[in-house]
Amino acid sequence: MTLYEYAFQPFADYLFMRRALVACTALAIGGAPLGVFLVLRRMALVGDAMSHAILPGASIAFLFFGLSVWPMTLGGLVAGLAVAAMAGAITQFTQLKEDASFTGAYLLSLAIGVLIISLHGNSIDLMHILFGNVLAVDNHSLILVSGVATLSTFVLAIIYRSLVIECFDPGFMRSQHGKSGLLHQLFLVLVVLNLVAAFQTLGTMMAMGVMVLPAIAARFWTQNIDIAMPLAIIFAFASAFTGLLLSYHYALPSGPAIVITAGILYLVSVFFGRHGSIASRFFPRKHYEV
Amino acid sequence: MNVTLNNVTISYNRHPAVHHISGTFERGSLTAIAGPNGAGKSTLLKAIAGILQPQEGSIQINGKLAYLPQASEMQRDFPLSVLHMVLTGLWQQTGGMKAITKAMKERASIALTEVGLKGFEKRDLASLSTGQFQRALFARLLVQDADIMLLDEPFNAIDEHTVSLLMDIMLRWHEEKRTIICVLHDFTQIRAYFPQTLLLARECIAWDSTEKALHPEKLATTRFFRDDWNSNVSICERAI
Amino acid sequence: MKFSWIAASLTLLAMTASPAYADKLKVIASFSILGDMVHQVAGDNIDLKILVGADGDTHVYEPTPGDAKTVSAADLVIVNGFGFEGWMDRLIAASGYKGPVIAATKGIEPLHFEGTLNPDPHAWQSLANGKIYIANIRDALMQADKAHAADYRRNAEHYLKQIDALDRQVMSDMGAIPENKRKVISTHDAFQYFAQEYHVTFIAPQGINPEANVSAGDMAGLIDEIRKQHIHALFFENISDSRLMKQLESETGAHIGGTLYSDALSPPDGPASSYLALFAHNAAELTKGMMYNQ
Repeated sequence: MTLYEYAFQPFADYLFMRRALVACTALAIGGAPLGVFLVLRRMALVGDAMSHAILPGASIAFLFFGLSVWPMTLGGLVAGLAVAAMAGAITQFTQLKEDASFTGAYLLSLAIGVLIISLHGNSIDLMHILFGNVLAVDNHSLILVSGVATLSTFVLAIIYRSLVIECFDPGFMRSQHGKSGLLHQLFLVLVVLNLVAAFQTLGTMMAMGVMVLPAIAARFWTQNIDIAMPLAIIFAFASAFTGLLLSYHYALPSGPAIVITAGILYLVSVFFGRHGSIASRFFPRKHYEV
Repeated sequence: MNVTLNNVTISYNRHPAVHHISGTFERGSLTAIAGPNGAGKSTLLKAIAGILQPQEGSIQINGKLAYLPQASEMQRDFPLSVLHMVLTGLWQQTGGMKAITKAMKERASIALTEVGLKGFEKRDLASLSTGQFQRALFARLLVQDADIMLLDEPFNAIDEHTVSLLMDIMLRWHEEKRTIICVLHDFTQIRAYFPQTLLLARECIAWDSTEKALHPEKLATTRFFRDDWNSNVSICERAI
Repeated sequence: MKFSWIAASLTLLAMTASPAYADKLKVIASFSILGDMVHQVAGDNIDLKILVGADGDTHVYEPTPGDAKTVSAADLVIVNGFGFEGWMDRLIAASGYKGPVIAATKGIEPLHFEGTLNPDPHAWQSLANGKIYIANIRDALMQADKAHAADYRRNAEHYLKQIDALDRQVMSDMGAIPENKRKVISTHDAFQYFAQEYHVTFIAPQGINPEANVSAGDMAGLIDEIRKQHIHALFFENISDSRLMKQLESETGAHIGGTLYSDALSPPDGPASSYLALFAHNAAELTKGMMYNQ
């Protein structure tokens, strides 16, 4: 089998493969840079929490619109934004740090969601509606995830410098009246948007796998955030591309194949990365002249 | 270009770290804040910088402010280059969006040279020692070009030669009539360079010329200062 | 005086004979399809409660405290069996119910999920099995409520005739489609019994477990299969599977058929509000879909 036949023909032959790749690319571009910031702010687990936090919004939408994807996605988005807003406000105005305030907010949201569902008495698993499949990306989902990626990249470009400073030295921002609270909120909004769009298009595991794992891996190869950003995107895209091919040629389930590829990349980085890896610890490179 | 404290009390969990402080740092003054460990010096400085909020009282600031934190409080492995970190000091001019010009990079470079970090532009923050990190923060302070400079233990982990380097910069600021407030615990340094001293042991023990403030009598008072939370205290009834 | 005595005894007699004062047999049916069958056989002679209602998912049902109360007061519990109601044992233990638990599938030889030893519970998807269900239900009711045994026997006989009629109809409809065109693609692998009975091939991209992840290779294989065999009938079970189906549709030009009801009745205003309606609806939809196969 030639390289073309192995790596490119599957995408040429099948529409679903092309769509899957485009959706993953959009998520990589929009989400991986956010993943870098999530890791820096020690909020890497927020994606997992968010997949539960959107439940009450989806449940309420279900009560009014039935088992319909788009109202439920919108409801989930609203719930996610509400949780992010609440967590952000609590972080800003109380003594609580980000991780604790977020955990409190999402657990509350999840419990409310479960309550709404049990009151309604229906045992249909609502969440399945919200979580998509990378092999089943339809036009609407494609537009959603591409639109979010575009918006996200645009906004991130605007707030990039401020966000970096705020991550590095929040005290500095505060003393310069840099509206750090607003900045943090805006960042959370972007995270929620990307997550919900990714959930809907690709499912929860893939959404978080593509957003966060490449960002973590990138940290082992550069100590410069300006390089970490595009590197994370490249890693994310590479994981998706390779994972899809593995799923195609070896009949592996698609979602796990992509995430495991990202995971392998992460492990390789942990062991052999340039900065702070296990190799650099036990086999350090020669030091410079004084 | 001055800073006025009006009956400022800053508490952690209702226990005051800074207790009923009033006074003014006049324009162009060069003041050291001294006192035993845990006396509230950093806390006061942070409140002036706007990072902490006083529980009681108020702080009035006239002029642009710049704050130098202790290197130990910062994220030492954040993925930034030294030049970029120093450039963030130009925030007031660039905001989040405006381009960084060559002139700005020049300024940052010069600042780095002034603090003894010439050629460090492309280094990662993670590769710096504590002293080097402290000096890089100092360079950031330099480019901020503020009227009021707040420095929290700027000479920690720095050798004598560099201390005099940095002190030269501070004296230059003093000549430029900027207001400088500096937390220090080395009395020799204070006596050598700082005309004014605020002696703090939660409360204001002395706020005067250095000679008077660091008088042995005053220093003896602070020796009774206990750096522990007394669990049997009653509510403070002072009105002032 | 005599008159009042007679009046009193007549009234008493009337009271004991009146159904309003007689305790109806309290029967629990585990899910909606079963419930309808029980209702057809028992009529108004019983007090029937169904645990998993229309559109419910019996596989993942979580019993409520209210259910435990209902079961504890019951006289007869009828379940499907074959592992369909994994939660039933715990519920019965929790409720303290000590009465008879009848599996409607008694006497049916189960088909198994491909490559496993687990029985496929969806036996009602074959009308021949459906008749065995009715027989078991009738016998259980007659055993528990001898007073109305005649009613149950008569209702069951009537219902069995209806099932036979439907069976003949479905056989003839299916027969009209040539065997090599009798293929559909469906995400729900709950029609094994139907497939076997009426010689229809169900090709499933996923197993019954909707959590199972599809691989790109399988997807591509399925698309190739559809193109090669000219299958144009697609059926999906729930919305999350519909995405995969829609993707197949846009890629191959196949046609998505109507909803198939596999595990539960539809609500009363829907097309599958009773077992016979469900079966007739499914058969009609499948037939319609298979017409698209070239």
